[in-house]
Amino acid sequence: MAETKVIQSDLKAARRLEEQVLVEVARNGYDEAATFAIKLALEEGLNNAIRHGNAGDPSKTVRLETDIDPRRAVIVITDEGGGFDPQTVPDPCADENLEKPSGRGIMLMQAYMDEVHYNQAGNQLRIVKRNAREQRP
Amino acid sequence: MSAEFGSLELCVEQREAGVVVHVRGEVNLYESDRLRAELKRLVHQRVEQIVLDLAEMTFICSDGLGAIISAHIQCRHHAGRISLVSPCPAVGAMLDATRLSELFPVRDSVDEALSS
Repeated sequence: MAETKVIQSDLKAARRLEEQVLVEVARNGYDEAATFAIKLALEEGLNNAIRHGNAGDPSKTVRLETDIDPRRAVIVITDEGGGFDPQTVPDPCADENLEKPSGRGIMLMQAYMDEVHYNQAGNQLRIVKRNAREQRP
Repeated sequence: MSAEFGSLELCVEQREAGVVVHVRGEVNLYESDRLRAELKRLVHQRVEQIVLDLAEMTFICSDGLGAIISAHIQCRHHAGRISLVSPCPAVGAMLDATRLSELFPVRDSVDEALSS
């Protein structure tokens, strides 16, 4: 990966990291829709890593690896938690879950990013967004 | 009443038919608690009609959506309701993707929301 950063389980640190990544996204010429998608997925991924993966434990860290070029943005977020099975997360769009206030983060990442993968342990997320501008002939 | 911090501004406007919350900027992971707290305050006041004017809201995360859903559920206890007004295309697409546009009425203007 092009760049790796490690932060404590802290939302302010996550915000600073997010801003740095979005500067890089802008520098590589991503359009408004792609930038919205990357920002959304980054927030959801970091939120899950800090609040759920690391359970907010400030002694645990989150590692963010980014590889962003004009063709595609690859982001890998790793926490120090025990992991989870994304298959067990209820579908928030199912009728019976529509009014549940939480559980939409993974669904949103899947809706907005081109690729969303978790590792076997369930504590590492890899998301990819391709740059539509670069795909045009 | 207006309270600005970071990239989110919440402006609460009392109207005869209800309360309008003008949401400006980003309801992101770091500020969604402010929207949650404001809606909770209005729910506790048993406001019957809460209109969220989203015309100038540029972003919302799942936590922010959760704050609106929580208020929607709490509103039921006093037969209150929440409606949404003029989300930008990106947020409108999010509401459709999550099927929340089926849960909340989405109106074109504040006046339309207040009179419906």
